[in-house]
Amino acid sequence: MKTANTFLWWRFTLREALLLGFCATFIILTRAALRLHFNLPGHSMFFMMFFLIMARGCVPKIGSATLVGLISGFVCLLLGMAKMGPLILVNFVLPAVIVDFGGMIYHRLPSSYAACLLTGVIASASKAVSGLGIDYLMGMETEIIIQHIVVTTIGSTVSGAIGSLLVPPVIRRLQANKLIPGN
Amino acid sequence: MWTKHRNSSRSDYGCQFKAVDSPVHRLGAGVKLLIGVLLSAAAVVAQEPWSLSLVLALNMIYYFGARLTLHDFWRDTRFLFIQMGIIMALYAARYGIPGGLWPGLRIALQIALFFIPGVVFLRTTQASQMMRGLSRILPYRLSFLVFTSFRFVPFFAREIREIAMAQTLRGARLAPRDLLNPWNWKDMFHCLMIPMLVRALKAADEVALSAEARGFGRRPERTYFDSLGKGEKI
Repeated sequence: MKTANTFLWWRFTLREALLLGFCATFIILTRAALRLHFNLPGHSMFFMMFFLIMARGCVPKIGSATLVGLISGFVCLLLGMAKMGPLILVNFVLPAVIVDFGGMIYHRLPSSYAACLLTGVIASASKAVSGLGIDYLMGMETEIIIQHIVVTTIGSTVSGAIGSLLVPPVIRRLQANKLIPGN
Repeated sequence: MWTKHRNSSRSDYGCQFKAVDSPVHRLGAGVKLLIGVLLSAAAVVAQEPWSLSLVLALNMIYYFGARLTLHDFWRDTRFLFIQMGIIMALYAARYGIPGGLWPGLRIALQIALFFIPGVVFLRTTQASQMMRGLSRILPYRLSFLVFTSFRFVPFFAREIREIAMAQTLRGARLAPRDLLNPWNWKDMFHCLMIPMLVRALKAADEVALSAEARGFGRRPERTYFDSLGKGEKI
């Protein structure tokens, strides 16, 4: 009897794909909550990094975080929560790809504080890439581009780093209760 | 009644769809995307004051032609004004006040004009219209996941509210005011996030079982259940 039919990208079962879809739902919900209840713009990286690394911990397969990033980007677009329009997909997918890459290099990433912090910082800082592209496109000077990127991404990098540091205790607790696969 | 109607047409956050009838609302999503691409490209190309003024005028006609108000404009573009301030300050620091003013203003305006067509697209395109468009572009398995995730937003919002209420009654510090204090964040993660993730694991099991019981995902192409009772693949 075939028990685990692959549903997506030759690696995810339907259950895993749905679980990753729900992680994307959580990213959207927390993003909306930050905007509506706390009126805090630009701090969405906190929960985004938390759920991206969490997704990697719940489904330890290559592409899990990327799938979450892709789905949350599309849902964000559908809900009109994307100030940058369709470019928002870059802001969601790029950090997710970095989380996946980090998980590929070090497969214990979600349960390690140091690895989570490093991945969180790099992935949050990658948000600057879309801004960098637009600045170049508009003909801004390199020195000013660098200053502009530093000013605009420092907040999201700090919040992404804090969000990623909260993953290991949650992952360890879920693993201890055998709710998600262990290392 | 009028007040109620006026409040219902107001958006909760910037770039949210606004349900009014306008010529821009009546355009197809593809046409709006094309207009957006053209206007954004024009913003990149425009360098001189006259060409920038022309692109600005076109953007304003497009934006206010969608029956969006000044209040909406402020909500949608206030982050762009912050960007403008940062860019102009950086140019002023590098070239001084008179020398850096025009290049700073030009770049900041170009960036703002690059984003405004996208804002109009989001303001005037219904989620269902975007869904139809997306389902034509995305593979059906990926679009199933996108729409399932979208469909479960209200479900998990309700679940989060219920779990938060139950945990607050047990003494957890989860009220929005309490969460402004970072020391209370551990309550949020232990009392809210872990139950939420456990709920998501259970929901994924149930939904996957339910979909697989209906033969979903058995074939590589999309299939439909025959509602007339023959049960054949169409």
